[in-house]
Amino acid sequence: MITFIVRRLLISLVLVFFISLISFFIITLTPGSPYPWGELNPKISESVKANFRKQFHLDEPIWKQYWFNMRGLFTGELRSIKDGRPVLERITERLPATLALNVCAIVIALSFGLLVGVYSARVAGQWQDTALSTVSFALLAIPEFWVAYLLIIGLTEWFAVPLMGTVSHGIVFPNALASSLDWIWHLALPATLLALGSVAAQSRYVRASMLETLREDYIRTARAKGLPSEKVLYHHALRNSLRPVITGIGGLLPALIGGAVIIETIFAYPGIGRLGYQAVLERDYPTLVALNFITAVLVLLGNLLADILYSLVDPRVRLE
Amino acid sequence: MIRFFVYGIPVLLVALLVASFVTVASFSTDRKNELTIGSIGEPTKLNPIQSAESGASEVEGFVFEALLQYDANLEITTQLAKSFTLSQTTTVFFQDPAAAAAALQLVEAARPSWSAWSLQAARTDGQRLLLDLTLPGMEASAKIFSLFDPKTALPLATLRVETEKARATLEDFQKANPDIAIERSWFDYDAAFEITVAGEGTSVEERLKKFLTGTGNAQATAAVSETRNFLAEPLVHFVLRDDVRWHDGAPFTSRDVAFTYRAIMDETVASPRKPDFDLIQKIETPNPYEALVTYRKPYSPALNSWMMPLIPAHILEDKPASWWADNFNRNPIGTGPFKFSRWKTNESLRLVRNDDYYQGPPWLEGIVFRYLPDPISIRLAFMTRQTDFWGVSPWAVSSLLNDSRFQIFRYPANSYEYVGWNLRNPLFQDVRVRTAFAHAVNGPQMIEFILYGNGVQSNGIFPPHFWFSNPEIKPIPYDPAAAARLLDEAGWKPGPDGIRVKDGKRMAFTLIVNQANEVRKDIATLVQDNLRSLGVEVNVEIYEWAVFISRFINKLEFEATVLGWSTGPDFDVYQVWHSSQSNPEQLNFVGYKNPRVDTLIEQIRQEYNPATIKAMAGEIQKLIFEDQPYLFLFVPNSTSVIWKDSFRICRPDGKGGFMDTPVEVTKAGWTYYMQWFYRPEFAGKLPPKREVRP
Amino acid sequence: MNPPAQTPLARVVSRFRRNRIGLISLAAIIVLFVVAAVFAVLSFAHVPFPMDPNATNLERKLLPPNLTNWLGTDNLGRDLFSRMLHGSYISLTVGFVAVAVSLLIGVVVGAISGYFGRWVDNIIMRAVDAIMCFPTFFLILTAVALLGPSMLNIIVVIGLVSWTGTARLVRAEFLTLRETEYVRAARALGQRTPAIIFRHILPNAFAPIFVTAVLGIPAAILTEAGLSFLGFGVQPPQATWGNIISDGKTYLLDAWWLIVFPGLAIFLAALAFYLAGDALRQAAETRSERK
Repeated sequence: MITFIVRRLLISLVLVFFISLISFFIITLTPGSPYPWGELNPKISESVKANFRKQFHLDEPIWKQYWFNMRGLFTGELRSIKDGRPVLERITERLPATLALNVCAIVIALSFGLLVGVYSARVAGQWQDTALSTVSFALLAIPEFWVAYLLIIGLTEWFAVPLMGTVSHGIVFPNALASSLDWIWHLALPATLLALGSVAAQSRYVRASMLETLREDYIRTARAKGLPSEKVLYHHALRNSLRPVITGIGGLLPALIGGAVIIETIFAYPGIGRLGYQAVLERDYPTLVALNFITAVLVLLGNLLADILYSLVDPRVRLE
Repeated sequence: MIRFFVYGIPVLLVALLVASFVTVASFSTDRKNELTIGSIGEPTKLNPIQSAESGASEVEGFVFEALLQYDANLEITTQLAKSFTLSQTTTVFFQDPAAAAAALQLVEAARPSWSAWSLQAARTDGQRLLLDLTLPGMEASAKIFSLFDPKTALPLATLRVETEKARATLEDFQKANPDIAIERSWFDYDAAFEITVAGEGTSVEERLKKFLTGTGNAQATAAVSETRNFLAEPLVHFVLRDDVRWHDGAPFTSRDVAFTYRAIMDETVASPRKPDFDLIQKIETPNPYEALVTYRKPYSPALNSWMMPLIPAHILEDKPASWWADNFNRNPIGTGPFKFSRWKTNESLRLVRNDDYYQGPPWLEGIVFRYLPDPISIRLAFMTRQTDFWGVSPWAVSSLLNDSRFQIFRYPANSYEYVGWNLRNPLFQDVRVRTAFAHAVNGPQMIEFILYGNGVQSNGIFPPHFWFSNPEIKPIPYDPAAAARLLDEAGWKPGPDGIRVKDGKRMAFTLIVNQANEVRKDIATLVQDNLRSLGVEVNVEIYEWAVFISRFINKLEFEATVLGWSTGPDFDVYQVWHSSQSNPEQLNFVGYKNPRVDTLIEQIRQEYNPATIKAMAGEIQKLIFEDQPYLFLFVPNSTSVIWKDSFRICRPDGKGGFMDTPVEVTKAGWTYYMQWFYRPEFAGKLPPKREVRP
Repeated sequence: MNPPAQTPLARVVSRFRRNRIGLISLAAIIVLFVVAAVFAVLSFAHVPFPMDPNATNLERKLLPPNLTNWLGTDNLGRDLFSRMLHGSYISLTVGFVAVAVSLLIGVVVGAISGYFGRWVDNIIMRAVDAIMCFPTFFLILTAVALLGPSMLNIIVVIGLVSWTGTARLVRAEFLTLRETEYVRAARALGQRTPAIIFRHILPNAFAPIFVTAVLGIPAAILTEAGLSFLGFGVQPPQATWGNIISDGKTYLLDAWWLIVFPGLAIFLAALAFYLAGDALRQAAETRSERK
């Protein structure tokens, strides 16, 4: 077990190095260079531009730039080209909102995925099953900005409920309960939209794996022994099919972070997706480098954790 | 247990959603005596000398103040300065003190002309003759200089040296060559220096070069950049207000003025404003409420640069750039009517009333900026009264025009849109071709349908509402027949596929546009359509801004482009139209060259007389318009809207009392009277009215 | 020696036939194809049918659906219906070619990994992990933004990013099939590796691969739509469903048709592929029956 973890960590370290290398070169070698002065500004002179390039090492050979970026990343001194603040600070200040959004989305995806999946498995082959699967695919097929606009326009125009950002502006709530409900309200809709696709996908997984388990011999035996079918369904079949679902959480994370750009933009939600998108537009190389690096590390750790979790849940799997 | 997970959690989640919806929907917004602005552009740093984007200046305009400002009619007036006066010292160098004394006598003899020259005093200092003039400029000094025998006068050479560690290099050079008398020196960051010496400068240049190679500084260059007959050094004398305090209570003094200048010239600060201040020789502060700015040469637009907000020396001095970025730039301290309060990144930014403001506290308790990245969200937030102000796009204004709930502000923007032809391309070298294109594009229709009438046709490089704009220039009318005639004349005849041909070359080109600008994309499509009916094939390509600039514009590798210039009322167009600025990375990217325009551009920067400026600017505008290096499209309106019942203005009427008016828009924008805005429902709870000291 | 290939295929077809939703989706896909193909030809030949998709007519701007302009007009008076028809082949091309690219890479990589196993497998799978580390959409967005949003770039980038799933699937199939009797027999008879892979293993892994491919097409179409929304889809003046939406979203509150109709087209196309793919998967699902 420990040797496994150590080996995986070492492999991950090498991987992270390669990822950082490749992503850095892709980012810096493509056309376009940082132009932090807004629209074409006739007042910017050549010496100002040259000084800017010097301050951010943009005039150095590329391998040196890579070195400066990486060193800066680890010493915490890597600063954004755009506002001069440490990139780590820019990322961490958005982390709480992003985590809240993604955790919320994962909870929604898993719980509703489970619900729909279990129900579909129970009614497998009947018309409800067909209807649910069609609806699931419909959810997958809707362009997300479409639903987002529909929701935001509908709710603000008809109910005049504030929807943008993380809190309602201009409303003073009398107590902590009300203001936390306000916070939940601003979290719920973007999280639901983010989760839509995953609900559909998760429900398909659950349904398939439950049907599979129900056909296993021991379930048949259990049924034959006269156990009530409800008990068989929930106790045996569902428990068995839960495992891949739980360990699959690791795979959900990157998809959610990436998919959040559009939702965060429409709902004016202050998350990491928008930060990354802005950094791409502005060619803010340090921010991009740091974001890439941190996501890579997080996801590799997530994978490792999922593997370990899997081995703990399922004694048949041995880590070697 | 498992069943609870399957059914319980979804039910719980739905219940939570319903509860939160009911909660949020049941509370209504408490209206405070505040103004909320929905905006797309979030500032990056709230430091006026480091930021150049509109999102930042929108906020900085309330927090910081400058020595000078535009008044409601876009004319220069004072803000933190009580007054300012202009003057000039002209220095002429002679072979020896005797020649200087002789020259002084010639000047004394011409005393009747002194007032015409605005000459006040003349004296000698060794071989130098110093003339004090009350008006800066070159003309009077040149006239005085013509009195002297040119053989007795010495020219002045300015040498520019590009080198690493410029300060140390100059010091070493002076030590090694103590016999060279350096009259003036100036540093361009630490990357270059300029020195002025009496004489032709060639020998100094040689010694500089020898010195640089001798010290192993192989990449350094040294060259005479300018030779002049005399030094004309304008002086601006500012007297500052003595009743101004920074938001932390420290008094505002001339030290802050000098510090702001020093900070701008500092490479670690990397201020984009530096070019505006490059011509300053020095700033002296004889006492806390006086600042004397000496310029290296007459440069009339210089006064405008003092509309740049000042930053506090007592906080920022001796702090490293990282400290600025981590502290001050996100927690700024200014002297303005509103104080910075809180900034939630990507969400909102709050300013609160400055109770100690020297003109009395503003009526509003605060200003809140909400940053909404999607235009639709901004509009929705405004329509549901979550924000009070909406910088509406021209086309959306039309749907609000007849709605009595709204007040709409429209005033001409300080910008114009154009199609730029790359004049290095043979296709665009014939002025008849460019004029034909201008005839072929339906300008009025473009304004009518893209801007919904919110704009006027452009008649050249200065928008018509600038005071120096030339009203006699009429836009080129839409006339397809004339366009076809001009192209025929120029030898472009319709070919077999309907596209015009000359010498076997088809009249086809690529028009590039930057993405994320809907108006420019629409312009490109219409230009393409209009020119197609003239027999010209236009291929439109759209690129993201960073790529658009670095791959095409900066490298001068484009055929035609849709772009716009947005400038203040500034008659100095050196960077955009002078022929010396047509290299890669420079802004005369269309490659315009006209010797007469070059001369005028050089002269107008040294001219201080408004009438002459207007005449010269008019001529520049006319010459460039006749050459049609751009297809001048239109000057759009700035359009914005507020809820009509939200605010009123109660402002000093200039006679010691106050006047109460609805919100009105000035030439300088709708925020001009912001400190006097108030919400009518708070009329009884405003701070006491104070007499406003002018 | 040859694996029994005919019978399963026939069975899949006959089972697919019995799935009504699958048939309807398939019909929709065929219609879409015909329309896209016809208008691709018309578009390249510059035939203005039903109207010129690029001709502006400012007097008729932002008109709601009416008898002349069935789906209304955009902000420059261009006919929305014509623009959507002439742009239809772009979405399909992006979907198909991107999936083809991802299949090609995924199958080759997965096959190599699964067939050789051991350290080859180990290295490749770690690399796959690495690629999966990145949030896919954001990676695509970054790459397209940096490289420039041309149709080719979009296709290649989507393809390059989305092959990992296929590779894992193919590898898994290979790991199982490698141990089956007929592959062992082939190896015993001295057949060369590529021959074994292509003649024996791939045909048997065909069904799941095909299903992933069909399910990959709508994902690619939706990705292009998302890119378009952010302004990084295929660029105008070439009309595409995506960029009609991205240009039209400014006018969302005044001209709903500019975003509703192309959005509906994207939705229906994606749904048809998903449902058809799912029907196919059900039809091809053999293991459950064997038990």
